[in-house]
Amino acid sequence: PLGGLASGKPRVLCHEAEAFLSTGSELVYVYDLEGGLLTAAYRFPGQVWHLELLAPRRALYVLCAGKGIYCLSLDHLSRSTSQDDGDSEDGELPSSVVPVGPDACVLPDASLCAFTVLDGTLVTLAQGPTQWKIQLFERPCPGEDPQPGGQIGEVELSTYTPPAGVPGKPADPCFLPVLCCVSPPASRVPHGHLWGSGSFTLKEALFGLLFGADATLLESPVILCGLPDGQLCSVVLKALVTSRSAPGDPKALVKILHHLEEPVIFIGALRTEPQAEEAAEEMPPGEDVHSDCLVALGHYGRTLAIKASWDKAGNLVPELREYCLPGPVLCAACGGGGRVYHSTPSDLCMVDLARGSTPSDPTQPEEGPGGLPPLLCPASLSACSVVTLSVSSRAPEGDTELLALSAKGRLMTFSLDLNSEVPGLSAVSRADTGQKIKELLSGIGNVSERVSFLKKAVDQRNKALTSLNEAMNVSCALLSSREGPRPISCTTTAAWSRLQMQDVLTATCLLENRSAFHLGQGWTLCVQVLTSCSALDLDSAGAATTYTIPVDQLGPGGQREVTLPLGPGENGSFDLPVTVSCTLFYSLREVVGRALAPSDSFEEPFLDEEPPDVLPEQEGICLPLSRHTVDLLQSLRFPGLAPPCTQAPPLRGPADPVDTFLEARREPGSHPSGPASLRAAYLPPSVACIKVSAELLRAALEDSRLPLCCATLRWLLAENAAADVVRARALSSVQGVAPDGADVHLIVREVAVTDLCLAGPIQVVEIQVESSSLADVCRAHHAVIGRMQTMVTQQAAQGSSPPDLRVQYLRQIHANHEALLREVQALRDRLCVEDEASSCATAQRLLQVYKQLRNPSLVLL
Amino acid sequence: MSHQMPQGPNCLDLWREKNDQLVRQAKVAQDSSLSLRRQQLAQDALEGLRELLHSLQGLPAAVPALPLELTVTCNFIILKTSVAQGFTEDQAQAIQRGLERVLETQEQLGPRLERGLGELWDSVLHVSSLLPELLPALHCLAGLQAALWLSTDHLRYLALLLQSLNGSQSGSSEDLLLHLKTWSPPAEESDAPLILQDAQGLRDVLLTGFSGLIPSLSYPIQLHGTYLELIIGNLPKALSSLHEVASGLCPRPVLVQVYTALGTCLRKMGNPQRALVYLVEALKGGSALGPPLLEASRLYQQLGDTAAELESLELLVEALSVTQSSEAPQLLIEVELLLPQSDPASPLHCGTQSQAKHLLASRCLQTGRAEDAAEHYLDLLALLLDGSEPRFSPPPSPPGPCMPEVFLEAAAALIQAGRAQDALTVCEELLSRTSSLLPKMSQLWKDARKGTKDLPHCPLWVSATHLLQGQAWVQLGSQKEAVSEFSWCLELLFRATPKDKEQGAPSNCEQGCKSDVTLQQLRAAALISRGLEWVARGQDTKALQDFLLSVQMCPGNRDASIHLLQTLRRLDRRDEATAFWWRLEAQTKLPQKDATWSLPLYLETCLSWIRPSDHETCLEEFRTSVLEPRDL
Repeated sequence: PLGGLASGKPRVLCHEAEAFLSTGSELVYVYDLEGGLLTAAYRFPGQVWHLELLAPRRALYVLCAGKGIYCLSLDHLSRSTSQDDGDSEDGELPSSVVPVGPDACVLPDASLCAFTVLDGTLVTLAQGPTQWKIQLFERPCPGEDPQPGGQIGEVELSTYTPPAGVPGKPADPCFLPVLCCVSPPASRVPHGHLWGSGSFTLKEALFGLLFGADATLLESPVILCGLPDGQLCSVVLKALVTSRSAPGDPKALVKILHHLEEPVIFIGALRTEPQAEEAAEEMPPGEDVHSDCLVALGHYGRTLAIKASWDKAGNLVPELREYCLPGPVLCAACGGGGRVYHSTPSDLCMVDLARGSTPSDPTQPEEGPGGLPPLLCPASLSACSVVTLSVSSRAPEGDTELLALSAKGRLMTFSLDLNSEVPGLSAVSRADTGQKIKELLSGIGNVSERVSFLKKAVDQRNKALTSLNEAMNVSCALLSSREGPRPISCTTTAAWSRLQMQDVLTATCLLENRSAFHLGQGWTLCVQVLTSCSALDLDSAGAATTYTIPVDQLGPGGQREVTLPLGPGENGSFDLPVTVSCTLFYSLREVVGRALAPSDSFEEPFLDEEPPDVLPEQEGICLPLSRHTVDLLQSLRFPGLAPPCTQAPPLRGPADPVDTFLEARREPGSHPSGPASLRAAYLPPSVACIKVSAELLRAALEDSRLPLCCATLRWLLAENAAADVVRARALSSVQGVAPDGADVHLIVREVAVTDLCLAGPIQVVEIQVESSSLADVCRAHHAVIGRMQTMVTQQAAQGSSPPDLRVQYLRQIHANHEALLREVQALRDRLCVEDEASSCATAQRLLQVYKQLRNPSLVLL
Repeated sequence: MSHQMPQGPNCLDLWREKNDQLVRQAKVAQDSSLSLRRQQLAQDALEGLRELLHSLQGLPAAVPALPLELTVTCNFIILKTSVAQGFTEDQAQAIQRGLERVLETQEQLGPRLERGLGELWDSVLHVSSLLPELLPALHCLAGLQAALWLSTDHLRYLALLLQSLNGSQSGSSEDLLLHLKTWSPPAEESDAPLILQDAQGLRDVLLTGFSGLIPSLSYPIQLHGTYLELIIGNLPKALSSLHEVASGLCPRPVLVQVYTALGTCLRKMGNPQRALVYLVEALKGGSALGPPLLEASRLYQQLGDTAAELESLELLVEALSVTQSSEAPQLLIEVELLLPQSDPASPLHCGTQSQAKHLLASRCLQTGRAEDAAEHYLDLLALLLDGSEPRFSPPPSPPGPCMPEVFLEAAAALIQAGRAQDALTVCEELLSRTSSLLPKMSQLWKDARKGTKDLPHCPLWVSATHLLQGQAWVQLGSQKEAVSEFSWCLELLFRATPKDKEQGAPSNCEQGCKSDVTLQQLRAAALISRGLEWVARGQDTKALQDFLLSVQMCPGNRDASIHLLQTLRRLDRRDEATAFWWRLEAQTKLPQKDATWSLPLYLETCLSWIRPSDHETCLEEFRTSVLEPRDL
């Protein structure tokens, strides 16, 4: 009837005929179990993390996350309930939710994580910056202001690694620590206070064995604390009282009993021995059973049981056993008869720790407690996703009644007959049919909840399998098709566009799915943009930026276009050439991980985490699609050629150098263009030259309609989006603007080279690059050479033979070049050692030599 | 982009208003008399400040918003520190974040993210010279940083920070005080956002706290735990620095501590009279009476004034029984926060009431005031075992004896005081309360009859309990019971091998019980006790056996030897006696080896009962009687 659970730590408690319930939200509900009615609801100022009831004082203590501990008086509560009864006799929900104000707060402390209440004291566990801290307070009552110095003891527990959160803002802990209070049986403290999940009594032998002679002599209660890191430690309460000025010495006070190595979910105690002794001792019936076995459960199912036993010589020794139960454990409870109930997302199980304890040798009944069973066999109770459990105190003798809250917010009562051989959900046998029908209905509800949960899990797994199958198909298709067009391709083009008052060079990646498969959830397109390192700064590697774009749904024949900025960078510079590589990535974690997570039917935080060791190291599949280089030739613009009618705004054309300078100054982002344009005006342009045999080019271009020069220029600018103007006219030379604003002049002409070939002069196409910016000459030269290389490799594959060459001449050219290179080396060395005046001259000379080098007499044939 | 301020001036004003309101709320909390209400208000204000800081830091750092942001950071740290009563890592991170935000506005943060706090401060102070509007808030933040470093002993950083704050170049940590004195934070502008504690206030606190800390940091004297080990060589230096602190201005609780430490120091230097003057001064301070009283008792013990010593201990018990009416701490950074936490090993730690009570009782027993000792022990046991009190009382923690030993001491004191019946009750209580831990007695008897080899082990204090029970019976004149208790005790003792780890009763303070020497002495004591009983019953042969055994057990035990000699003489076994006497004479010429070993108090007391009354005269007599026949 609650309608779902909020994320949090649900708790359920019951006392006599009342059940107190928190679902992990801000509300605490009070149920009347007899009538099955909701009698009251309280709204607290924060998420409720823990409830505890101090029955003899009729007070309910509630821990609110990040706020502190609140206390409600039950007397007050029942009064309001009786008023409510008058108003809502027809069994409706109480008309209003009672808000709990700050007056009820008895201990404001934002760092509290757990607490337990004793008759006279309140024990809290707070999370310090690096350590857990147990604090002891005089039990505050609602409405009263506790005396200053109400804290009467403090000790720090072991260090822990704080959860990675935003600094200054504590992360919500996934697992809360567990606190409980253990008393020795002879404790003079009235027995009645030991009630609820927070406290229990252990038999003398086990108590003394675990906590030592001092605690036994003092008859002091002991605080047991299970931490999320798996530690199980104990603090003797009477020893904890320290002066305010000095926290206790942890080494002396805290004893680590065990380490479960997984978050401790539950600490409890139970009685594995038959009750015969107790009957003789005339124990008060019911509640105050002295347990002889301590149990602790970890989140992944590791279970620890400790009993006291005597060895052959009669010495008291601890018997300690670890079991593995199916996990992850959501909650657990200890029932009568040595049974532990624990709930996982898929089942509610019961294990019997008493089963092994039948005395092995009947002739020695006083041998002492029997051992713990070597193995535990969980028996299913057929209920899934029970998030909190409580053993009811009102069960008739011999039976156990469990109160359980399911993940969907149903409060259920299980009545278990301890004597029946097969435990199960047996109905409380009542004569009247109405009750039976009610039970049947509840059983149906129970089953349907389980079915819906299982169905959901199956659906999720199916979905994941389908998705994996698709992914397999896609991978096979992509990896097997080595030749021809690939079934899934990605093409990249570069273009200029105007964004935010700025011209930006963008790359457009077009992902096309020509396969018969479907790219669905889990696929992402990764585009890596890798800039070349700057020529001026040899040490720096090029910067790489990776863009990740989820391919949401891309059916057969679908296309997706992605546009990415390539430049200018933050300092206004372009680092051409830029390499754009596209990759398809399939995330296994996203698809498979979700299906393997046990449940997402409610947002229990620890259920969303992935089970360890299920996924392989590799997190996904990576399929490279394409690789494209954007160089200077692709990013040239031709403002001078633009038809006057087009609306393209005039770019930085040939302008007055002073204007250029001023303009550059106005925009602090584009420093380099200032000196560049100045140099353009006053320095002779740098030139580079490449010669290619006309025959080779002609063969490669296969376009005889145009003059070879025009065809060559077209070929060079083929990938330039702005080159339509060049294509429109038959040009053999073109003036463009490089991305950084410098002019670049490409001139293509046909010349004859006479000295090279024996057979006479050969026709050669000379491509000359001219620019005022040396860097742009280099980039353009690099781009042209790159194209030439590709072309030559293709042509070489077709097997054209070069004409006979004059080797002598080639040698001479080679020698010349080597001399030049040597001179360069010498000049550079000199540059390093010389002073300023002479280094200027050296630099001049160096530039000249470089210029000669850039204009080789060699021809590509 | 980052220079555009998405929030208009309105938003900034709103946040500022929020800050001012939260600061006012914290001040209301400060004045609230109800501690709970106050704590709640403070916590709410803290939460509010955290949220405010979060929203402020959610935007790109911008110069106009920074003074407010830094002020909120300061308020947050001040409130957090005073609510938590100490500095934590969180605060350091908050400071660091604040500094990084300042640098962000200057776009200087860049890739050098992993700078230390020291370097960060350098760059920030460099930047702040360009942004004078940030200075007041930055100085406040610097004050907090200084307090944090002071409390965590990072004096070198602190010196550097103060140097940069003052703009001076040279200096070392010696000049720290000077740096602190010359630091003059800029005055807060009248229209600035409210702050809980301004830089000037922080400076004053630092000055006090710092002079209070210097001695403890330079020479680990009074306020740090390493006091006891390191004090010896440094007493005069410690003294002078303590004098320096005492002459300065410091709050009363600190002054009480300093006076107490001065008392300790002077006592150790052999100046009891001057020490007493300081302790009296400390007691006049009135806030924490425990440490000076404890120190006074030590002083009187050193002076040999037992009456005064016990009186101060009684006063100490009384002082500790009163609930410490500690004033609620201010919601500001205060000197107390900067002082190191008190440590059990330091002289400023006076323990709890029951610890004091135990000290009083044992001193009474040691100084021979058995009646008082018995009463105090009974009080102590009542205090420890009474569960009906809403307030728990702790046992004497580890430096003292463990709980069973406290019981044994109580029993010994009762016997000493002539209350044997009460002593028997205490012993029975001890055994019944721990019965579950002991090996099953029926099993034990059965095994003993069968002669089984692997016998259970018993903790030593169980045997000791039987020894004391026997002594109580002796006092009551019931020889039969006494002999049977002694025999039982011996039975258990001879099973216990000292190397065996105690089983069943793992207690953190049983080292004393486990020692070999204690075991030997216990055996000797039990044998002598039984021997004496045989003597009393006239069964000298049995007595001789026991005395012989005890001499074998503890060859150096003079008591056993003398009892043996006397018995031999009584039995008229002259030759043996003479031979033994010669051996004994030879032994006395050897140096006593285990004189330094201190036995548990109950055992010492017990041994004193079985010591032959006329120790020396007996020996002298024997010497003459042995030597005479030889002369003849």
